[in-house]
Amino acid sequence: MIDNSLIPIPSFILLVGAALTGVLHRRLRPYSVVAFAACTLILAWTLPNDAACRVGFLDHEIVLFQTDQLSRIFGTIFAFISVAGGIFGFHVTKGGEHAAALCYAAGAVGVTFAGDFISLFAFWELMAVASTYLVWARNTAESSRAGTRYLLVHLFGGTILLAGIILVVTETGSILLSAAGSAQGSGLWLILGGVALNAAIPPLHAWLTDAYPKATVAGAVFMSALTTKSAVYVLARLFPGWEILVILGTIMALYGVVYAVLANDIREILAYHIISQVGYMVAGIGIGTQLALNGAVAHAFSHILYKALLFMGAGVVLFATGKSKLTELGGLARSMPLTLWLYMIGAFSISGFPLFNGFISKSMVVAAAGESHLDAVYLLLTLASVGTFLHTGLKLPYFTWYSSDAGLAPGRVPRTMHGAMAIAAFFCILFGIAPGLLYDHLPFSTPYEPYTIPHLTESVQILVLTFVAFWMFRGKLAGESLLALDTDWFYRRSAEPTKRYILGTIEAVFDVAERTALLVVHRLVTLSANPVVLVNKSFSGKAFDPNRARPSLGVALGLLLLLVVIVVVLNLLHV
Amino acid sequence: MNQKTWSILGLLVVVSLVLETTLTYESDHWWDSIPAFYSLFGFIGCTAIILISKWLGKVLLQRREDYYD
Repeated sequence: MIDNSLIPIPSFILLVGAALTGVLHRRLRPYSVVAFAACTLILAWTLPNDAACRVGFLDHEIVLFQTDQLSRIFGTIFAFISVAGGIFGFHVTKGGEHAAALCYAAGAVGVTFAGDFISLFAFWELMAVASTYLVWARNTAESSRAGTRYLLVHLFGGTILLAGIILVVTETGSILLSAAGSAQGSGLWLILGGVALNAAIPPLHAWLTDAYPKATVAGAVFMSALTTKSAVYVLARLFPGWEILVILGTIMALYGVVYAVLANDIREILAYHIISQVGYMVAGIGIGTQLALNGAVAHAFSHILYKALLFMGAGVVLFATGKSKLTELGGLARSMPLTLWLYMIGAFSISGFPLFNGFISKSMVVAAAGESHLDAVYLLLTLASVGTFLHTGLKLPYFTWYSSDAGLAPGRVPRTMHGAMAIAAFFCILFGIAPGLLYDHLPFSTPYEPYTIPHLTESVQILVLTFVAFWMFRGKLAGESLLALDTDWFYRRSAEPTKRYILGTIEAVFDVAERTALLVVHRLVTLSANPVVLVNKSFSGKAFDPNRARPSLGVALGLLLLLVVIVVVLNLLHV
Repeated sequence: MNQKTWSILGLLVVVSLVLETTLTYESDHWWDSIPAFYSLFGFIGCTAIILISKWLGKVLLQRREDYYD
């Protein structure tokens, strides 16, 4: 084991890069982003397994950095996508956006290589704060509000995570990360909750589809790759084989599909499909067999490549036309053919077309479900992949590039944008054609062969018939200028109903109680002011006057006489 | 969508169906004995996703775009 503090730490390189990029001349900034991301990529790739960097901190020894097969593959793809994202964002002039992107990448890479809970948490929060800036930097009223919501939700998730970490560390006495196995406890469940929020597991997912469509064009590319997949990494590190993840993952895979039918914004459709795709990874981690874990990791790797490519494609459309809603787009095939074809490579990949990288990774998770005799999971995940092709591969491109011509005149697109797309597209195809290049670096050496006749016939039939159904029902799929309620409703619109149903009821009860109390008091006051009213109604409403209220002499004599009569009668009866 | 494209797609399905029925391989699942299962699954699944999601949108989820403003 190599163990010294002099090893350059990948996340620190990115942080230095962020600081430097912020102060560099405007024209040098994009080069700096790409250069520092590339250095990190080389480092993540070349560091030996089992390298570590430990630092003393309070009573603990912090493992800022530690490599194994799992962390290396995630660290590599995070650094790679930062290079591609940096090239894609070459046109960006704002130093803040460049610096935030690098800080964000530093957070994700830092989480990946962290060996203990304290450094993991620090990098976790860095990711939340830096990525918020990428939403705010869009500089619209909508993105400013969405960014604030995004930050608040992530700080809430971070707090849950921290609470869980404190409980676990107190219980076990160790801050080192290790798989939970069959251990249980409230601390672990809290950690799972905090990580599930970043992994966008419903109902904790709404921050993603709320913020990603409103982020900057280049920022969304980083966001599509880093937050959810770093959470997937932590799930794979801490919770492999937790059965609840199988159920949650399968629900996720279908949840995103349903909402993607209703979404109108192209980046919102893609965002819902992040949730759907992460569902496969979460389910794979839950299944927990070697094949399933390999599948989850391979799918995260593939997913980052094609999802970044898809977000780049949607970003180019937004950049060139200023529009991102299906209802405002259409007929761009003639003016933006290159963007269309590069986008379609991403779409074929995510849909699991043979020869593209989705085919060789998604099928591992599905096959693992079959191998573990989880028939329902197998079929539901296959159904989700029907939905993936339907939206990302058919609905979105059809209504953006074909359908009725919206008469848009797209502006010029920087070559670097298409260049970054081409790089991502190249790797989507490369790993599709030569899956061994990826399989060789997975955590386990379980053999898997994606190109078998049954798998190919299955995929061809599903894809072609999905297309046929799309073609028949395409009229139903056109975008609508409506929004679909999701769980962000609870923090965006719950004030009014909460007031009406909860506070309203309590208020009504208090109101009745208050009015009754006041009435009683009022009656008592009137009564004590003039108790004579009780016997003589003619006194009501008048103030008490002893002279008027005093009974006449006749009354006294009458009472005396009555008393005498009573005594006499009683005597007569008794004797 | 011209006739040529449809013919290619049709041919692909036919070839996959022929391969599926002629080649015997170890089957793990009960549905592998249903002929053209994945064709039916793709078509029915896709239709169901569209119709059910649209229905959910209509009855429960969809609101005007300025709902949150």
